[in-house]
Amino acid sequence: MRGKDVRLDQVSIRFGDSTAVQPTDLAIHAGEFFSILGPSGCGKTTLLRTISGFIEPTAGRVLIGGEDMAGKGPNERPTALIFQNLALFPLMSVAENVAFGLEARGMRKAERLKRAQELLELVALSGYGDKKPADLSGGQRQRVAIARALAVEPAVLLLDEPLSALDLKLRQHMRSELRAIQKRVGITFIYITHDQGEALAMSDRVAVMSRGKLEQVADADTLYAEPATPFVATFVGEQNVLRGTVAGLADTVAMVDTPIGRIEGRVKGPIRLGEEALLMVRPERIGLGSGGTNTVAARLAARNLEGPSVHLHCAAAGQTLIVTVPNGPSVRDLPEELTLSFGIDDALVYPVGALAHG
Amino acid sequence: MGSLARAYGRPLASVIAGIAVAWVLVLILVPLGAMVEQSLWWRESKGDISLTIDRLYNDISLIELDREAETDPAKKAAFDQSLADKQAEIATLEAQETNPPKTYGLANFTRMSGLHFYIFVRTIFYALLVTALALVVCYPVAYVVALASGPRKAVILMVALIVPYAINELLRVYAWLMILDYRGVINGVLQWMGFIDLDAREWIPFLENPSAVFLAMIYTYVLFMVFPMVNTLETLDRNQIEAARDLGASTFRIHRRVIIPHAKPGIAVGCIMTFMLSAGSYSVPAIMTRGQGGDWFSQLVYRQFYESNNWNMGSAYAVSLLVVCTAFILLMMRLFGVGLRDIAK
Repeated sequence: MRGKDVRLDQVSIRFGDSTAVQPTDLAIHAGEFFSILGPSGCGKTTLLRTISGFIEPTAGRVLIGGEDMAGKGPNERPTALIFQNLALFPLMSVAENVAFGLEARGMRKAERLKRAQELLELVALSGYGDKKPADLSGGQRQRVAIARALAVEPAVLLLDEPLSALDLKLRQHMRSELRAIQKRVGITFIYITHDQGEALAMSDRVAVMSRGKLEQVADADTLYAEPATPFVATFVGEQNVLRGTVAGLADTVAMVDTPIGRIEGRVKGPIRLGEEALLMVRPERIGLGSGGTNTVAARLAARNLEGPSVHLHCAAAGQTLIVTVPNGPSVRDLPEELTLSFGIDDALVYPVGALAHG
Repeated sequence: MGSLARAYGRPLASVIAGIAVAWVLVLILVPLGAMVEQSLWWRESKGDISLTIDRLYNDISLIELDREAETDPAKKAAFDQSLADKQAEIATLEAQETNPPKTYGLANFTRMSGLHFYIFVRTIFYALLVTALALVVCYPVAYVVALASGPRKAVILMVALIVPYAINELLRVYAWLMILDYRGVINGVLQWMGFIDLDAREWIPFLENPSAVFLAMIYTYVLFMVFPMVNTLETLDRNQIEAARDLGASTFRIHRRVIIPHAKPGIAVGCIMTFMLSAGSYSVPAIMTRGQGGDWFSQLVYRQFYESNNWNMGSAYAVSLLVVCTAFILLMMRLFGVGLRDIAK
């Protein structure tokens, strides 16, 4: 099986008056594990259904392997879709499920059942062919759905939050499993999820989507360390958000007057002197003591033990700062009054924009 | 009963149990029992009994005449004796005539004439045909209704199904009679278009053909086919249809492999209901054929009851129909691999 690249060229989708996807350009490389991450209702499923052919874009083109997909139905595209609820055929056996796509292509029975066996082996389910989907566990059903989709030898596999129905342990296990299967078959995976853990753990690259628009397309590390917009910054991982006024601006460094004092940070967007801005610091980038450029005096309000790390809720000038520090003897007995500090590189300054959580 | 009492308390439990018993009695045991009992006996009435009585009365009149003319007292006494004998004989015969003795046996079932048996078989065959036609007509309708959503669905349901069924069944059948009659709507339209001339009796005799009954019957019972199918089709996960399409299946294959297997219990219920109703339908064939298109078995049952006044024979006919229909349904369920449990779902 060979992966193909997927390109969206100014694709926009409207349902009546409402815009589900704003004009979007996106290039997904062949053989890539690509995730589209966003809150529910952001248009990610619509985008996926457009690639699979269930929805025709209102404007723009979808190209798969360089070929324009306009007017081609889901059955004519080199894609296969794995549904959120898997949509296995409950009345067929597992092997028949897997072989269904081949049956539709007119392959002889003996041949297609043999192929189904091979695919079930690929997903470590050999010997389950005669069972009904209802007799399998959630994770096994998951793998049947993958085998069924792979049977038609798609160049692009589309996955619509297929792990959301599983419990946490199984979900984490299936992440690595999916990644391993993708490595083995080598085709393009496009994975839709609202779970940032899934997206960051599995993907080569992630697109963060909000309100029908792509906010940022980058690999997981970049996304986490260098979020391009306030939305991405707050949607991916935890963030301390402070509102303030830009008091000084030099090259890539800005000084922002916030309720907790004047803070220096890196500029991440078009801001101007005297205007309002958002300052963001990740909880794990704030340290105890006065080591960094920015120092804040705060009072310890609460201490939540998370196991390997400890979340400290600190109050400073009416604001709550969350600080995450590694667990250890030094954080067992902390004084009431703390000094917090972080560097210029740890604070990011954005123009005012939409946040992920209100 | 014990668990029922624990769940609801003794008074309420006995009320529930009482209702259940009453239900079984009133709906199943009493009517069926009465019918079966009726079919198992007959009254031995000799056909010549009234003739014999008539003849005896004649004899009495003659003897009375002879007796008037006779003067010999010894002979007169002989006449009196013979008169008394005849009158006693009449009394016993008349008692037999008004209340013939009951005999139990299976004769009512074995006495069916060849013609009636032919009508019986033909009725079953016609009912099957009606069921098959109704299935073909209803499946697409049920599919559209079940997969439509929101206000559109309500409109389709209302206009296509509920409104026609708010009209009384007899009225609807009569409406079809008017449409298909010699000088009915269709023939009228054909005349208006110049194809036929009604005044020259050039009409198309739709009503002399069994298909008129089929048409009216499908129209009458279509709802019983549609609703069970809609119910099961509504429970089909639409993602399955999309998944099948995404995997490259044609529309035909999607129906054959995914949708119809899922709808099978609904199809079975719809077919059973339509089959039972059409096999036992009286009004539709009676009105539509008006004696011109061949009887259905239900009409024979009616005649046994109300024209031959032979309730025992009528009951036997009715029971035979019931038994054959039930056996047939069980056979169909076997063939389609649908269990009672699937249907209950």
